[in-house]
Amino acid sequence: MSAITRSLLKLRPLGGFQGLAGTQSARSAGNWNKDWKPGKYPVTPEERAAAARKYGLRPDEYEPYPDDGLGFGDYPKLPVVSAEARDPYRDWDHPEHRRDFGEPIHASADMYGLDRIDDTQKPRFSLNDQALSFFGVMAAFFAAYFYLNDNKMHWPVLPKQYPEEGKTHYTFEPAE
Amino acid sequence: MGNVVAQAIGDRSTTPDYKAEPTFDPLYGFSSGRKERVMVATPEEMESAKLPLKDRDYCAHKAIAYQACRQKVWPFVYQCAHEKHDYLNCQYDDYILRMKEHERERRLLERAKRKAAKAAREEEE
Repeated sequence: MSAITRSLLKLRPLGGFQGLAGTQSARSAGNWNKDWKPGKYPVTPEERAAAARKYGLRPDEYEPYPDDGLGFGDYPKLPVVSAEARDPYRDWDHPEHRRDFGEPIHASADMYGLDRIDDTQKPRFSLNDQALSFFGVMAAFFAAYFYLNDNKMHWPVLPKQYPEEGKTHYTFEPAE
Repeated sequence: MGNVVAQAIGDRSTTPDYKAEPTFDPLYGFSSGRKERVMVATPEEMESAKLPLKDRDYCAHKAIAYQACRQKVWPFVYQCAHEKHDYLNCQYDDYILRMKEHERERRLLERAKRKAAKAAREEEE
């Protein structure tokens, strides 16, 4: 214990333990869950400007979620652009997330990752086309099935003959 | 002939039902009659040999002989080649007979249709 105390005392000129924590906080802008929480809903224009600066946005593009009890405080309401819909060949700072450093993150960004849904890109085939293809193919198969159901192919043989009580089977040889 | 393509594109009304037994009199047209098929193996023998139901046909006695031979010489089952050949030949002949029955049924159906058409023609005149 004393060794730890002594090493901490030696760090005093650098600001001690507090000083170390301070440099960390300057780098990551937070130490603890509560430090990452958004602030209060901004009401005045000054508060809005401060919040916009905090999230790296221009005041005219900053728009918080409505304060109706389900909002996110001063967190900005950003347009949804799924990672899947972003240019895969651009030189992103974080290619695995297709995101640049310091870019504001959508409140539901975990839902729009590369391995999650993509609801911003225009699909190659519209939903109507997809439904038409699916039901068209299925209808064609069912039509063929029902049309040919009573017209089945078979080898030109009759059922196998099994000896049974009171039943006579014949060969094709004359009985003499 | 009653081959598969002819069934598919040909006349369906004279194609026999491949799941049903022949519908015409089996002795019709055989002036000197037909030899009856003889079942050699008895039900007791087949039960005793635990023969599967699907094998209890007119070749059952050969199936029993083949299986008995296999049991006797196991594992040198190649020694049962003659029994096996005998059994499979019997099954082959059985299949040929079924094909002949199919063709006979088809020709009789065609004949019945021809006769019905002729009767209808004569009635018109």
